[in-house]
Amino acid sequence: MYRGREGQWAFYLHRISGLGILVFLILHILNIGSAMWGPEVSNALMKFYHQPVFQLGLLLLIAGVLYHGFNGLRIILMDFTAWGVRYQRALWYGVWVLFVVFYLPFLIKIGGGILGGSHGD
Amino acid sequence: MAIKSKRYPEARLEANTNLELYWWVFMRISGVVLVFLLIGHMWMNAILADLNTIDYEYVAKRLSQTTWKVYDWLILALGLLHGANGLRYVLDDWIRDPAKRFWTKVVAYSLIAFLFFYGSLSLFNHDFGVN
Repeated sequence: MYRGREGQWAFYLHRISGLGILVFLILHILNIGSAMWGPEVSNALMKFYHQPVFQLGLLLLIAGVLYHGFNGLRIILMDFTAWGVRYQRALWYGVWVLFVVFYLPFLIKIGGGILGGSHGD
Repeated sequence: MAIKSKRYPEARLEANTNLELYWWVFMRISGVVLVFLLIGHMWMNAILADLNTIDYEYVAKRLSQTTWKVYDWLILALGLLHGANGLRYVLDDWIRDPAKRFWTKVVAYSLIAFLFFYGSLSLFNHDFGVN
């Protein structure tokens, strides 16, 4: 139906980002939930996750959440409006416009932090 | 099996059980709610706060307020359910062997149930000792 075109990329990216977010969610719940074990355990874990490599991962995660979320809204428009499917390709480019607008602040803040070496010590 | 239809009337026809249709609807509703909850969550913790200063103190202070407990629990519950059902779609598509598919689901659902239990405990059943 839409093999090799925007619709297929939208679908693949939706799945990959969804699975990526789920994997992160596991780590995130275990990490934040560790606060139950007191400051020592919790702070040690959090310091571990403040390393630049995890911040890069976080930038990737935020990209995944924003794409998955906005593309999800596109899917909903396709499902519930009379015109959504007709304009699915235009909507996909709309997703990327929203993505850039929302991603830039995160990219600047977190990316700047990584480059500035302001990670945990 | 997961519903493939892109439009609600077709999804209703394709759904051979009501349950499958409810999941289809749930994915849309929880999706809309999660977009707002998660943008807020990420904005608060990565833009308004400095990620690198997040530690036990910060978490304990935030989780001592009922508003944030409820906010975070909504993300936990909706996110895990949305993610579990999304994973179910993926496993149904990718794992052809029924026995393998069954056991993969058992492991995946158990992990998700554990995370829900663990996350809920830390939100509602733990006193972080912040006044």
